[in-house]
Amino acid sequence: MTGWHLDDATLRRYVERTDSLAEGASAEQHLLTCEPCRAQVNAAVDVIDLAAVWDRTRDAIEVPRPSVFERLLRAAGLPAHEARLVAVASAFRGVWLTGAAAVLAFAALAAAIGHDHGVWLFLAVAPIVPCLVVASSYDPWMDPALEPELVTPYPALRLILLRTIAVLALALPAVVLFGLVIPGETPFAWLLPAAGFVAVVLAASTWVSPLRAAIAVSCVWLALVSLLATRPGSPDAIIQGRAQAGFLMLAAASFVIFILRRRQLRQLRPWR
Amino acid sequence: MPTASINLRDVGRRFGATRALAGVSLDLKPGVTGLLGPNGAGKTTLLRLLATALPPTQGQVSVLGLDPEVPAERTGIRRRLGYLPQEVGFPRGFTAFAFVDYIALLKEWNQPGARHAEVRRVLGLVGLSGLGAKRIRAMSGGQRRRVALAQALLGSPPVLILDEPTTGVDPEQRVVLRTVLAEIARTSVVVLSTHQTEDVAALCERVIVLDRGRVRYDGPVTDLTGQAAGRVWLADEPDPAASVSWRTGTGRYRNVGSRVRDGVEHVAPSLEDAYLLLRGGSPEHEPTEEVAS
Repeated sequence: MTGWHLDDATLRRYVERTDSLAEGASAEQHLLTCEPCRAQVNAAVDVIDLAAVWDRTRDAIEVPRPSVFERLLRAAGLPAHEARLVAVASAFRGVWLTGAAAVLAFAALAAAIGHDHGVWLFLAVAPIVPCLVVASSYDPWMDPALEPELVTPYPALRLILLRTIAVLALALPAVVLFGLVIPGETPFAWLLPAAGFVAVVLAASTWVSPLRAAIAVSCVWLALVSLLATRPGSPDAIIQGRAQAGFLMLAAASFVIFILRRRQLRQLRPWR
Repeated sequence: MPTASINLRDVGRRFGATRALAGVSLDLKPGVTGLLGPNGAGKTTLLRLLATALPPTQGQVSVLGLDPEVPAERTGIRRRLGYLPQEVGFPRGFTAFAFVDYIALLKEWNQPGARHAEVRRVLGLVGLSGLGAKRIRAMSGGQRRRVALAQALLGSPPVLILDEPTTGVDPEQRVVLRTVLAEIARTSVVVLSTHQTEDVAALCERVIVLDRGRVRYDGPVTDLTGQAAGRVWLADEPDPAASVSWRTGTGRYRNVGSRVRDGVEHVAPSLEDAYLLLRGGSPEHEPTEEVAS
């Protein structure tokens, strides 16, 4: 103990860590030997909530970090908890990304070939990929955690629509990019058929399994495109305004059916 | 606060031509009720009905006074329900914390701080407090089962439906889980199915035995065990008079049956003895015409 003690201002700067390095070292040295000053420091320091510190430490270790996709969803205005729900949906990690990659691959192939066959191939595959990945995002066969998800209060309808919009949001930028590579408007021609097929799958999933609906839609579309490809003419038939209007009507009608029958989505229960 | 309850009136469930449940009427109050029965007896179907995962094809179900047939009331039930299905798949790459956190989000725990604290609490309850950051794929079967159980415990629900909660869980953890469930059951309706009669004996006040979709016994565990008093005996050889006999670890045969000869060495019955006696001595009697889910 010495006759000298830390004055109030020095003590406050030390506690608040606003002192200089030299002043802090001096105060530290004095506190090692001065019991009354240590008591004053103890009284001045707020009680540290060790439990809160421990929780923050565990949060840093355990809480999953937001993915790039989740951050994008938040930036797009989706509330944090819903962005998380969409981003952690299991299908995002495998099937969805595979589907998006398939779109890119076929688009690249079509661009490389650069003639009617390539365009036919693109038109055959690109519109059905979104409906297949949307279906796989909530089909009982593809979602391993479906049963616990289903008996939560979160509306299944909302979850399905969020996932649907999210997967479409993933695919659209790819189309725009490839639209710059492929000459003409063809790369964008699949957008309305794709929207129509996604809506058909949503509507049909109030009767049958989403994946079955998507597979049926895909088979019909592939058969139709194959038939058209064997006939004289170019893929323009699908791009024409009349055909596009048909797809638009298909999308609208299917979505209305889906909304009207949404309560039947309780049949999302496993068919297995 | 009103007492939690579940009521079933003449409930049945068919899958096409297959009848999984028929004429089930039950009133369940706070406490642990155990469901016993052979494979295909309808236990899982009954639990899925109670958990609103499946609608009945006959009769009425009421959970906490709410009708699961009415969408708004079904959501109300789900807000106060914890459900552990028989099989839970885990999304690839998820950690224990991430999975329970995901289910917590679906259960409307939107505030991150409170949600994370709750996730930590339930992981602690099932003995996984230090394993939140571990990938589920890298966990043992028993640990995965406990992760699945943790999601059911979120929010201390007044109704807890558990389909084989202790499958694959080691004896020490089973004792811990029994303690946790017993505490929850002070105010909650806990219904669990299991093939482990010792879990039912240790935990449940009431036991329901299902067979071919129908309730074969409904009453206190002690009463069921009491029905086997004087009908279990030891012998050096399997007794032809017994409904079922098996060799014990001492090399002697434990016999269970209704036709007891004089002069045999009686032993105190266990719940398993009573269950086998009720089942007519058939440990795994599969239904021939009806296959339940």
